[in-house]
Amino acid sequence: MIRFYNVTKTYHKSGKALNKINLHIKPGEFVSIVGQSGTGKTTLVKTMIGEEGIDEGKIVVGGWDITNIRQREIPVLRRQIGVIFQDFKLLSKKTLFENVAFAMQVCGGSSGKIKKIVPHVMKIVGLERKVNDYPQEVSGGEQQRAAIARALVHRPKILLADEPTGNLDSLNANEIIELLLRINKFGTTVILVTHNREIVNNLKRRVLTIDNGTIISDQAVGKYIL
Amino acid sequence: MFLSFARIIKFSFQDIFRNIWLSLVTIIILILALFTVNMLLVVSVVGETAVGAVHDKIDINLYLKTDAKEEEILALKAKISELSEVKEVTYVSKEAALKNFTEKHKENQEILGALRELNINPLTPTMVIKPVNLDVFDNLINKLNAYDSEIIESRNFTNYKTLLGKINNITKKVTDAGLMLSSIFVFITMLVIYNSVRVAIYTHRRQISIMKLVGASNYFIQMPYLVSSIIYTLFGVLAIMVIFYPFLSLLQPYLETFFVGYNINLITYFYGNAFNIFGLQFLAAALINIVASLIAVRKYSRV
Repeated sequence: MIRFYNVTKTYHKSGKALNKINLHIKPGEFVSIVGQSGTGKTTLVKTMIGEEGIDEGKIVVGGWDITNIRQREIPVLRRQIGVIFQDFKLLSKKTLFENVAFAMQVCGGSSGKIKKIVPHVMKIVGLERKVNDYPQEVSGGEQQRAAIARALVHRPKILLADEPTGNLDSLNANEIIELLLRINKFGTTVILVTHNREIVNNLKRRVLTIDNGTIISDQAVGKYIL
Repeated sequence: MFLSFARIIKFSFQDIFRNIWLSLVTIIILILALFTVNMLLVVSVVGETAVGAVHDKIDINLYLKTDAKEEEILALKAKISELSEVKEVTYVSKEAALKNFTEKHKENQEILGALRELNINPLTPTMVIKPVNLDVFDNLINKLNAYDSEIIESRNFTNYKTLLGKINNITKKVTDAGLMLSSIFVFITMLVIYNSVRVAIYTHRRQISIMKLVGASNYFIQMPYLVSSIIYTLFGVLAIMVIFYPFLSLLQPYLETFFVGYNINLITYFYGNAFNIFGLQFLAAALINIVASLIAVRKYSRV
């Protein structure tokens, strides 16, 4: 599903963020990427969605070589990869339904399709009763669920979660992880970037550990080792 | 495609109304720029009419002796007509001159009374000569000055060339000043549009980042701002149409007084050429605004 071949990325100011990364994530996998702050986790995510280019190597996503992806091709890639972040990135003046529908509207989805798909994904994430609430009226966990629903409307093959529990208490964090596991069960490849030791250890899934831009450990059923 | 376009228009109106004060300032600056451009057009039309009016009046009068014989006059007329610089020669007899004079001063009883007191026709017969064009004017005067005929009483050679030169000079200066003012306004308009788009993008930076995140195309992200600039232009041109016609109505009586006897009607001119005048202004302003927006969008929509 995702392949990195000797990928190197250097920033002018801070030096090498990724150093000869070799990586293969298979379809349907649930992979946690762990590491301290500033070790290259977010850069890794950004290169996967075409937000950052690379200096050396090759990246293939779903059979598509995105190493030298053109600007106009990036939207196509983004529709195949759902992304969620620590800060949810919801629009405060739109209801949860509108936030999710917005992702389809801006990609040209018809009103009929929106009316059919949005309630369905809202049900998957357990927000069917909160569709008319605004982000500031619901909990952090529910906001993150709405963000997940928005990431799912394009039926992505990959779901990238960059520190999705960073702003949540442990109860809400666990619920989000449960939801990600459920989505993974449907066949979606889930990549979880986190530095939450407890979550990683409880998952008992594949763990990639990054330090100084290098993968220092890749365990099929891993633990947080840093 | 239609759906995307409809959404682009919707987002564009949202941008305009969410930054309503900025939008109003943008439109007002645009109106000022268009007003200057239209004033320039008015100056051009008025200048052309003034020059045309003077052109119509260009003639050279040869005053003939009262006792000049008919055959001598006709012979002189024939000779002058042969000159290559002459377009037309009209002979005005003493009687015709008196009739014209009485008609011209029919309102002035003092002049008419004085004429009656004289009890004779004091006017002389006249030869009215029209030159082919203004360029041959000096040449013609030289030839007529050199022309010696016993029946010529006097010559009246008003220097129309200097007058036309002055009118052309004033028109040119006003046009130059107008062009400079228009250029300044066009530049200010570009800056204001650029900043309006910049502020609109800043206001929507979170929305833009989300749009990019969920896979919206660059076209879909950038188009609403370009459409906004076209909408600003449309509002600006419509507003100038609403403002400019009443302004012309106010100006028209003054022009009619000034150009009495000449057909100058700015309202008719602007109505007759409305499509060309305002259509071209819309196209030019839209083009300028799109360029300004495009630069701003390309530079600032990378959030």
